[in-house]
Amino acid sequence: MNDCRIYRDQWVAFLSRELGPEEERTMSAHLGACPRCRKEVEALRALFDEADSVREETRAALASVDWETLPSRIAARLPERSAPESRFRERYRPGLWSPRLRPALAGLLLGLLLGGTAMFFALRKPSAPRPAAEFFASGEFLDRVEIELARRQTLSYLDKSQYLFLDVLDRTAGSESAAQGALTSREAQDLIARKKYLNPQLDKFRMAKAKDLCDQIELLVFELSQISSEVSAAEIERIQGMVRDRQLLMKIRLVKKELERSEV
Amino acid sequence: MDGKTAGIEPDISVLMARVKEGDKNAFQDITRRYQQKIFVLAYSFFRDREDALDIVQETFLRLYEKAGLFREGEDFKAWLFQIARNLCIDSYRRNRNRRNDRTADLRLEDLPSEAGDPADGERRADLRALFRSVLDKLAEKQRAVFVMKHYNDMPYLEIARTLGIALGTVKSLHFKAVRNLRKHLGPHMGMTS
Repeated sequence: MNDCRIYRDQWVAFLSRELGPEEERTMSAHLGACPRCRKEVEALRALFDEADSVREETRAALASVDWETLPSRIAARLPERSAPESRFRERYRPGLWSPRLRPALAGLLLGLLLGGTAMFFALRKPSAPRPAAEFFASGEFLDRVEIELARRQTLSYLDKSQYLFLDVLDRTAGSESAAQGALTSREAQDLIARKKYLNPQLDKFRMAKAKDLCDQIELLVFELSQISSEVSAAEIERIQGMVRDRQLLMKIRLVKKELERSEV
Repeated sequence: MDGKTAGIEPDISVLMARVKEGDKNAFQDITRRYQQKIFVLAYSFFRDREDALDIVQETFLRLYEKAGLFREGEDFKAWLFQIARNLCIDSYRRNRNRRNDRTADLRLEDLPSEAGDPADGERRADLRALFRSVLDKLAEKQRAVFVMKHYNDMPYLEIARTLGIALGTVKSLHFKAVRNLRKHLGPHMGMTS
């Protein structure tokens, strides 16, 4: 039984004459001795004969072809086809656009489009908040900046006022030259312009003291702005008196100190 | 110039070298030498004269295009048969649904395996038709090996070279093809299963 199984695997090769001489001899000996295997091999031989019936049909088809002229007919088609040298160009270039590859190409294009869009948004998103972050400031911070600006500008206004008043106090009646009078008038006008700009900033609660002083200064400065070369000695003395009476220079110093301490 | 008229068959590598240079006479010589073998292979696949002739023509046109890829010393017949066999398989797959074959949609398992009792005259014709159907339904490689073995009279070794598979695989595929044919045809041929 075991022997038969071994031989059974060789039946097809035996009938196809594909066994070596030694194997063929052994198989023949076995078939001579085993009626069961012999019967099976005979059945397979009948199958092979049946296959030959198809061969008969093939032979009939072969006989119906004009083999003499076929080579020249095929050769006549060669100019339509590419020469051996250009076979790669012929074969691969149109292949890329063949209908079979079109869905793949469409998919590739769609992928690129979607990928490109995704990349655009992915790269764009993080950059969007950046400008906001650069310019972002809390309300409290902006208030502090405004107060600091007001403080500095007030200090500057007081400095210039101080110099102007000192200059006025140093003058003696009659020594006023036309040029000095014009200079004082220009400086006073400049201070008036500054005061107008400063007014909104002085409205802040923390600038109340400075505002009161600056208002007093403004009145005097206004008068100084009217000074001309023809100003009388009495007029000079009146203004000097006002500066002294109101202790403007001392007040300026005190407010300046206070403002300098309160640096934000 | 023609090898045949000169009475001496020029070596195939010489002819191929000439084909590479675009020599159409050499091309015709090769075609003349192998056209019937390719036809038998293709006819065994399709059992249709026109389909088989199309494969013959396409095989040799491909040979001309691919001549530059053939290396001297290579097994020319195996190389050419590989071209033809690939074309057969491509064409078979492409035209499977268009083929005028009533059993095209059937699987091997769907075919009748019980013996009928037809009259003797019709029996032979029916059996032949059934044989073709079963052969058609074999797995691609089993069918290729069976066709090359039985209709092209190719030895196992040559089939192995043509299909690019091991010798043992060829034996095994042939064995399986015969076993499947026997399974489905045996009852009709009076064989016990």
